[in-house]
Amino acid sequence: MDGEALLQVKNISKSFGGVKAVMDVNLSLFKGEILGIIGPNGSGKTTLVNLITGFVRPDSGEVLFKGKKITGIQPHKIANLGLTRTFQIMRPYHSLSAFKNLIVPLNSPRVRRSRGGRLGDRDAVAIDILEEIGFQRDAYVPYKTASSLPLGYLKRLELARCIAMGPEIIICDEIFSGLSMAEIATMVPVLEKLEMEGVTIMMIEHRLRELFRLVNRVIVMNFGEKLAEGIPEEVMKKQDVRKAYLGTEVDNVGG
Amino acid sequence: MDILIYGTVNSIVLALIAVGFTLVYGVSRIPNFAHGALYVLVGFLTWSFINDLKINYLLAVTLSLIISALLGAIIYRWVLIRLRGMATSEIIASFAVSLIILEGLRMQGIGGFKGFIGPYYILPPFIEGKMRIVGVLIDFQRLIIIGGGLAIVLLLWIFTHHTKVGLSLRAIAQDERAALMLGIDSDRAAVIALSIGSALAGLAAVIILPLGNVTAEAGYKVLIDAIAVCIIGGLGSWAGAVLASFVLGFAMIISTALFGAVWEKVVLVGAIILILILRPSGLLGKQKELEERV
Repeated sequence: MDGEALLQVKNISKSFGGVKAVMDVNLSLFKGEILGIIGPNGSGKTTLVNLITGFVRPDSGEVLFKGKKITGIQPHKIANLGLTRTFQIMRPYHSLSAFKNLIVPLNSPRVRRSRGGRLGDRDAVAIDILEEIGFQRDAYVPYKTASSLPLGYLKRLELARCIAMGPEIIICDEIFSGLSMAEIATMVPVLEKLEMEGVTIMMIEHRLRELFRLVNRVIVMNFGEKLAEGIPEEVMKKQDVRKAYLGTEVDNVGG
Repeated sequence: MDILIYGTVNSIVLALIAVGFTLVYGVSRIPNFAHGALYVLVGFLTWSFINDLKINYLLAVTLSLIISALLGAIIYRWVLIRLRGMATSEIIASFAVSLIILEGLRMQGIGGFKGFIGPYYILPPFIEGKMRIVGVLIDFQRLIIIGGGLAIVLLLWIFTHHTKVGLSLRAIAQDERAALMLGIDSDRAAVIALSIGSALAGLAAVIILPLGNVTAEAGYKVLIDAIAVCIIGGLGSWAGAVLASFVLGFAMIISTALFGAVWEKVVLVGAIILILILRPSGLLGKQKELEERV
């Protein structure tokens, strides 16, 4: 965790009308780590992701990616720099097959650049990624549209599209929500493999037990502010975190 | 039999007019109110190239279409890009462009320009002549409309379903935010869509206009037709636009045959009202359903 941070968020703030969605947040993301962001609903987690990925412009503060300022840059350019994300409400292309859903990012400027114009094996890459995230062969036959896939598959497809971009950072916005334990169990190895390959991951998650098995470090947000930061077990022992996140009555941490 | 053949011609005319409009709307969510103006402009440009500059017909058409495509890109780059996401402003701005083009064409006096007014502006048909099909007399130009219209719809389908650019346009059309995150430039997609859409408006013009003469007023009629087809088919839905063209095309011809020509416009506007009451998202529109799903 030493050395220059891959991603730095500096004093970032954003209000919507009179509501302070994110207030003066600082955070660093280091190469190769998995960082968890947790906090109750409405604590500004998704706004934070939108600020980092360029979908929302901050009122003040800035985001640095590999030391370069990316605030004010359009989202597609940030994505092509290697910073990509999933959406909390899944946004697969419903009328496209799972396979075609992956061809879209595989045609992006970033991927074309990194592969030096060799597009011949593009289809094979798409199949590889689908296999890696555990799509059975029958699920990705062309012409089977994404709209006919069940939730567990759509969540994985969302992640697969990010992987197809060949990113340096993936921000996962609640990719476990709505999934069964078994479905989560199929996603965890994918994330672990990404970590091994050196991809840096930031996970926004409500499923704490599953999250804490993956992350090295966690940041707690509440009312748009950073409440705490540190190793999961220690952070969850703090009184204000438990009060904010779980309510005072709860003493079974991690559930 | 008359109704079948002329209904088909009329339907394909509507489809040709609407398909460019729906492409632009589908990709960029911009209702391009300059669509009809570009249609008329291409008509006059082609006429001028042929009659004033004495250029070969095919070359004149190609040049006009290139100019139309460039204009589409310029309209986006200079005007509409500043208004993205503000639907009312997009309508006002593109309609302003439309007024500038159409009224500009009619303007007289500057530099001896006489204005395109009067019945002299006629584009030549591709092939002269008529023939009989199952007893109905039909000229070759109308046959070309049928063939050309079907070919254009087919080519567009191939373009959007089997090319890289087409796929990224569809990605933007279905979900702009997700497409952005996958590295697709939505401004670039909109420029491409407006160029193609404007060229399609021009292509429709050179195929359809030889049936009558070119007038600036036709720009407004074409715009209304395109909007009617797109609302009834479902905004942004291509299949819907083609389906609606046939529904409207036949409805117009049948009502004309039964009650007279004045009913044509009544049917057009009545159909909009009817569809807005019964199925506000159009025959094949998905917007409403999508909103409900989220």
